[in-house]
Amino acid sequence: MNDDLIFVVEDTDEDVEAIDRAISRSHPDVQVEFFRSGTEVQPRLADGTPHPRLLLLDLNMPGESGLDVVRWIRARRDLDGLTVVVFTSSEDQAEADACYAAGADSYIYKPLNFALFQSVLAQTLNYWGKVARTVVPPPGDSSAHT
Amino acid sequence: MEAAVEWAARLHHLWRSVTSITVRDELAALVLPPLQALPGVVAVWGLRHGPGLTVIEHRWSGHEPDPAQIEVSRALSADAGEQPRVIPLDGTPLAGVADQAVVSRFDVAGDPAGTFLVLTAPGADTGRITTCLAQVVEVTREAVRAIVVRRGEQLQQTRDALLAEASLQMDAVLDTAQTMRRVPRMAVPAIAEGCLVYVVEDGKPVMRSAVHVDMRRLSALLGDPAVADRLIALADRTIRGGGTEPGDAEALDARIVEPQVLRTRGRVIGVLIFVFDRADSQVPPASFLRDLASRAALAIDNSTLYEERRREVVTMQQHLLPTRLPVIPGLRIAASYTVGDQILEVGGDFYDVVTAGNGAAAAVIGDVCGRGVDAAALTGMARHTLAALLQEDAPPVRAMHRLNTRLRLDGSWRFVTAGVALLRPGPDGVAVDWTSAGHPAPVVMRRGGPAERGTGGGVPLGVLAEPRTGRSRVLLGPGDTLVIFTDGLTESRDADGCMFEEQALGETLERLRDAPVENLVDELSRASAAFGGTLPDDVAVLAIRAGEQPE
Repeated sequence: MNDDLIFVVEDTDEDVEAIDRAISRSHPDVQVEFFRSGTEVQPRLADGTPHPRLLLLDLNMPGESGLDVVRWIRARRDLDGLTVVVFTSSEDQAEADACYAAGADSYIYKPLNFALFQSVLAQTLNYWGKVARTVVPPPGDSSAHT
Repeated sequence: MEAAVEWAARLHHLWRSVTSITVRDELAALVLPPLQALPGVVAVWGLRHGPGLTVIEHRWSGHEPDPAQIEVSRALSADAGEQPRVIPLDGTPLAGVADQAVVSRFDVAGDPAGTFLVLTAPGADTGRITTCLAQVVEVTREAVRAIVVRRGEQLQQTRDALLAEASLQMDAVLDTAQTMRRVPRMAVPAIAEGCLVYVVEDGKPVMRSAVHVDMRRLSALLGDPAVADRLIALADRTIRGGGTEPGDAEALDARIVEPQVLRTRGRVIGVLIFVFDRADSQVPPASFLRDLASRAALAIDNSTLYEERRREVVTMQQHLLPTRLPVIPGLRIAASYTVGDQILEVGGDFYDVVTAGNGAAAAVIGDVCGRGVDAAALTGMARHTLAALLQEDAPPVRAMHRLNTRLRLDGSWRFVTAGVALLRPGPDGVAVDWTSAGHPAPVVMRRGGPAERGTGGGVPLGVLAEPRTGRSRVLLGPGDTLVIFTDGLTESRDADGCMFEEQALGETLERLRDAPVENLVDELSRASAAFGGTLPDDVAVLAIRAGEQPE
């Protein structure tokens, strides 16, 4: 697992831009890879390279839905340590319940206001980052730590 | 001289670089390398302190410290001040790494303190290193102070935005359950890791909604009866003016638990419990949580009052309608009444079916314009007037005339559309005489054939001194169905403004042609509501099928 890497699956241009801007401000050390659909992210998660610490997932996308992606991830043992955060403006409680039942770790509201949007993402990354740090030893010598 | 110029350039670059950083984690990469580049420097270590000068983060350049060396560094930082001091390292675990350490600790209000240790080789110019370190500490302290200020501004922006968006979101729904879900969903994780909603029911707090950034963790906690009981006790104490007790946060495996009472219109309706894992500096002030709770309380109370009022309206409306329809041989009759969405006043639609002499029956339907108590009173009067007269064999035109006279006599500005279907079973079927006073035309659904629209006509009652009615006759064969309704059914509009009557009534009737009349009336109302996305007006539908025996 690569602790400094997160994947974002999001099909809306505006949200991709906002997520990129928000994370680069609050977590400049985090490397973000964007995917436009579930179909696009699946081969990358299955390619045998270290998977990211966290996957941020839109729920309503054309083609394979976010819920389908959660189910696909949780069916793979090699992705057990991957934190899946559903980031959506959906108000449907049944969708939230379905995502948790499928194995999502978080179901986070996507706010309209950018300050709030940035805060929600920053706190989500902080929370799951801390959880990751409690089980993963700190990295060794690195130029990032100079 | 050249080294001094080079350092000045580095320092200048440093000042410019640190102004653009947004988080403290970015600082080390900027401030450690210039010190590392000084002649005689073996390593540069940066420590970030928690309470009691513990080390919560460390960064390094050159030699990486091991845990024992970090502990020695922590001890050295305890005696350090902002003015750098040169400390010999003889006899310490650092002796193998360096000859001396130049140490400086700085404090910034609102953020953890930090310590620099510049480890030097024998013979290094510690005087110059001391000067350079003091300058780097000044840059660092200023950068951290700027980050703290920016963070404070951003937190304030976030909280302002949350209050605005929360009010918008909560006010947009009138469903209590949905409102109670929205409150914690807005708060998590923007301002707290978790948020639980308790409302007072029968004098006791009951959990109605709970959200956590890690729902599995919260669910596991709530599944423990001891934790659940502890939370109820906390909510109960908060309602009674108390608050947290030692051990509450630990029970929830959280750093801080903060309950806020939900108070509105002078009543306590529940409690919000916020759960925090984040650092103290990120926890919103109690005044903000109070403000959010008060907005949530108002939204929850509004939706509760709305639902109560709506239940009352539906109940009152039912009182204006017949409790049961008469059983008439050879006719199968069903009726439905649907109160429009988001309507909080009693409406004016009515229907009834009465038996008349000579084996005839009369089906009555009408609509009093407007809503509210006056309209309700008029609705009751109109239905009873028409039904009573028709039951005494008065011809429909005469019954309508009497109602018109009464409306004019009362001086009411309200008018009434009404339709009466006089049903006379005979050897060829059921003859229907339809009399209309400005009411929508009925529909006849032929068994095995397409639906036909009857004729309406006439002028609503109460408008003219001499009522004007439209009359028509149809014959219902066995299996044919007469459908009469109010305009709430046909005038439902889609997003483009098209009416149900124009776009979807025909195909809905076709779909329901063979449906039992009980299903037919319900499905017609539902189809109209689905067509418009919402039902803006009440809908009354009455269906009478010939040739079927009543149950």
